[in-house]
Amino acid sequence: MLSPTAARDGAARALLRREARALRLPVLAPVLLGLAAILCGIAGAWLAARLLAAVLGHGAAGAGTLAAAAALALLGAALGLAQERSQLRAGEAARARLRAAAFARLLAAGPADARGVGEKAALVVDRVEALDGYFARWLPAARLALLGPALVALAAALADPASGLILLLAGLLVPAAMAVTGIGAAQASRRQFDQLQNLSGRFLDRMRGLSTLVLFNRQEAEAEALAQAAGELRRRTLRVLRVAFLSVTALDLLAAGALALVALRHAALLGGVPAGHPGPAAAIFTLLLVPAFFAPLRGFSAAYHERLSAAGAAAALAPLLEAEPAPGLRLEALPPRVVVTFTDVRLSYDPARPPALDGLSFRANAGETLVLSGPSGAGKSSVLRLLMGFVRPDSGRIAINGQDATALRPEELRRLSAYVGQRAHLFRASIRENIRFARPEATDAEVEAAAEAARVTGFAAALPQGLDTLVGEGGWGLSGGQAQRVALARAFLRNAPLVLLDEPTAHLDPGTEAEVLESLRRLCLGRTAIIASHAAAARSLGRVVEMEQGRAVTGPRAAKGAV
Amino acid sequence: MWRDLARVLRLWRPQAGWLLLGLAMAAASALLGLALLALAGQGVAAAIGSAGLAGVAALLWLRPLVLLRPAARWAERMLTHDAAFRALADTRVWFFRRLAERMPAGIGLARAGDLLGRLVADVEALDGLYLRALVPATAALVSVLAVTLLLGAVPALAALVAAPLLAALLLPLLLAPGAARAAADVARAQGRLRAAAVDPLTGIEDTLAANAEARAGVALEREGAALAAAQRRLAWRAAWAGAAGTVLAQAALLGALAWGLAAGSAGAAMAALALFLAVAAAEALGLLPRAGAALAAAAAGAGRLFQAADAPVPVPDPAVPAAAPAGHAIRLEGVRFRWAPDRPPVFDGLDLDIPEGTHLALLGPSGAGKSSLAALLLKLAAPEAGRITLGGVPLEALAAEEVRGRIACLTQDARLFGDSIAANLRIAAPLAPDAALWRALDRAGIGGLVRALPEGLATFCGEGGARFSGGQARRLALARVLLSAAPVVVLDEPTAGLDAATERAFLETLGQVLAGRTVILITHRLVGVERPSRIMRLVAGRAIPATG
Repeated sequence: MLSPTAARDGAARALLRREARALRLPVLAPVLLGLAAILCGIAGAWLAARLLAAVLGHGAAGAGTLAAAAALALLGAALGLAQERSQLRAGEAARARLRAAAFARLLAAGPADARGVGEKAALVVDRVEALDGYFARWLPAARLALLGPALVALAAALADPASGLILLLAGLLVPAAMAVTGIGAAQASRRQFDQLQNLSGRFLDRMRGLSTLVLFNRQEAEAEALAQAAGELRRRTLRVLRVAFLSVTALDLLAAGALALVALRHAALLGGVPAGHPGPAAAIFTLLLVPAFFAPLRGFSAAYHERLSAAGAAAALAPLLEAEPAPGLRLEALPPRVVVTFTDVRLSYDPARPPALDGLSFRANAGETLVLSGPSGAGKSSVLRLLMGFVRPDSGRIAINGQDATALRPEELRRLSAYVGQRAHLFRASIRENIRFARPEATDAEVEAAAEAARVTGFAAALPQGLDTLVGEGGWGLSGGQAQRVALARAFLRNAPLVLLDEPTAHLDPGTEAEVLESLRRLCLGRTAIIASHAAAARSLGRVVEMEQGRAVTGPRAAKGAV
Repeated sequence: MWRDLARVLRLWRPQAGWLLLGLAMAAASALLGLALLALAGQGVAAAIGSAGLAGVAALLWLRPLVLLRPAARWAERMLTHDAAFRALADTRVWFFRRLAERMPAGIGLARAGDLLGRLVADVEALDGLYLRALVPATAALVSVLAVTLLLGAVPALAALVAAPLLAALLLPLLLAPGAARAAADVARAQGRLRAAAVDPLTGIEDTLAANAEARAGVALEREGAALAAAQRRLAWRAAWAGAAGTVLAQAALLGALAWGLAAGSAGAAMAALALFLAVAAAEALGLLPRAGAALAAAAAGAGRLFQAADAPVPVPDPAVPAAAPAGHAIRLEGVRFRWAPDRPPVFDGLDLDIPEGTHLALLGPSGAGKSSLAALLLKLAAPEAGRITLGGVPLEALAAEEVRGRIACLTQDARLFGDSIAANLRIAAPLAPDAALWRALDRAGIGGLVRALPEGLATFCGEGGARFSGGQARRLALARVLLSAAPVVVLDEPTAGLDAATERAFLETLGQVLAGRTVILITHRLVGVERPSRIMRLVAGRAIPATG
């Protein structure tokens, strides 16, 4: 059996492989441009070698060669620029695609998703950004690390087979040496990477709870504990790094060794060109190629941490992106009237706890207002969550006009309803835009009518810019009751056949409660409405269904009695 | 930007020894790299020029260098990382202390864009200033200086080779301010992207209810494209810097060759040396364009950090705190308070008298300032006008630590830390024995649940109490406050997240559990079992007597 971490790593690798495949063509351009730049470098080295040989008294080369070398240098720089540009493009497209997919999945998961908003935003923003290095630098660098040295070694072999062979052997030893020093180190450094993450996690955790620590006068003790944890981790990390850096050192050693071997090979030139030696210019050329041979490998090594951080980000994203979007039907047309029937509906959030709904049955007729009443925890909100498609029932049947509601896609189900939750969220926009949010195509007159109906106009008139006052994050702070009325205005504007209200007066003082109830009455007029509320004042809005422990207790009985 | 970076370096002064040692090692390893390539080139050139002994000597020196250079690189990496870890640990603690002093109420707790996460990432990214800017810059500087010195015997050659290298060295410094501006643009675009993700996710019920998924997606895509454009501008600068660096290094190389052609065979050996020195120096300079970008990123991060760290102290402690009062009666007289000058006042002429041992229930709708009252009592904020006294001593004359030692508070944002239950509880009373912890847990109505956990008090809570449900986490936070020995206890909506039965049970025993202490119970409604000795209602910024 796979351990959870192994499964997670597998999913992360699969995600990165999939993306790398999708990027095969876009990544081709930077790789080809990189190879062209390497070719420029090789040609430049050949010209430089001929020039130096000429200075040393072998062969002839002059200002013309120098000018050619200068031109090649400029061409190489230009190719480098073009490579950088094409790398950026490849990364951008991949990130935009992943970001859109992650965001859509998070929205589709809905409020039932237990992750905090900070964590979700980190997935959509930071995790996707963390993949940039993988797309833009690691993928091209990994390909260039293979092709670049091969090209250089080939050029060296053409000039002097022995030097080419030395480079080729060194190149073959690179993966071997890295594997020998790297296998244990990679495992350990991966764990250490996690622990480093843990330390910054701890730092962030304590920073978030700063006020809690300050209120208990514990900030100084925590500062010292933080310093101690960092010191401890530093010592352990260095122990791991001691080994981990050996793999880079192996690369350094191979580079230095190859340079020395090539130099020693050409020391044979002392006292004339011996048999089997291609001559002075080739000697200098191959010597100059040694740094060029190892440059792509160094680039690869430098980009390696991009792969590590990408693996972490991919592991976090993979489970989200793997989740299949819920299938379902679309609505053909919005029905003008809605009848809601629950038959023996069961719903459980957590198997360890009693079910939220335990065989609930009720019927809300077209145009009827139903008030779900009962203590908190009775399952009132769960009814609304089911009708909004935020959760799916475990068993039982939920029907809208006689049709199975769960067969619809959740977003189609929501088109039927105007919903006001316990705590309305105000988006960072004007009050007008916040109301229009419910139906973007609404005209200004319709928005203003909705604002009037929900009694928003009254308090908005006292604000600096009336309905155009900026609210939400960083905007004007509305009180809970005012925010609730903006949400009601949204419901008015939405003009949907089904109205769902979750504790619409929970956080209001009695004066505001009376005003909001009066608005509610008008909202529910002519629509089917289901209102969850434990407030006594809300009971006057319509027929009351008493709920307890996930079941209707008096409603059906009362209905039977009435028949 | 230079001022911020200089300030970071001043913060690191206690670790100066380690940091300089790392730089010295980087310099040594750069010199060894230079020597390796120069000797190899020198040897081959000497062999070609049939210079005899000199060539043999150079190649003999090559052998130890083949081992020395990688060893030096390894030591450089170890030392520089060690130093960076030390410096970073200091910065973290400094920043933590600073924010504890200046933003005791916390920042960005619920703020969109997770400002705090951003700042913490900025602290962590400061290591780039050392590892990716200072270390490679030192290596490059030492290399260029060595080239200049080695070629110093022939000033014309030295000038031809060293001048372009020196220019390449200065290039990142010249480009850094522009790159810093571009980096700041990127950070701003990232903030807007984050807000475009956070806003619809925070109001996810409303987003879904309005069928606004696609609209939110389009807004996110727009900000994503803006971010990509800003990043492209930043990367483009770095790419140009890199290209310019390459051209300058090539110019040094060709300069050596041009001088050689002009000088003829007399300067052959020097030209060969200069050529290989230029190649070696180019390798050290190759890291510099990235150093410029790292410098810019570190400066942008440091700027944000210092902006947060330099926030004014909200309620400064008195220079000479008054002696601790004997009693702990609380009195508010004519208190006027608002969170910001452009916000409506929360309190306006608030009078409240809370003698020792009072159990006061403070009622009011959301937004009436119930939580603001707790902030005022705990010296997280100061009133504009009026006065607050504790035991007859004005609050502003007392040290915040003294006040907070006497008033324990369960705030709405009370947080559980990623640590054991016991450690979380002992934040309130570090020396409390296990028995006291269990008593507090039982009183908060969660002792049974903790007993049932296999690891009991040692159970890990998870970051922010993620291991527990909202109601359970709230009860653990409540147990923590009950554990504290403070004579005044402020409970801000203590039963939020509790089911109805637990809520009743807790409130019923509250009077008995906290008998003899002053209790301020802040809530938007009474359940009917609380039996407070006084009930007040907050209306329009004042407190008026009320009945349940």
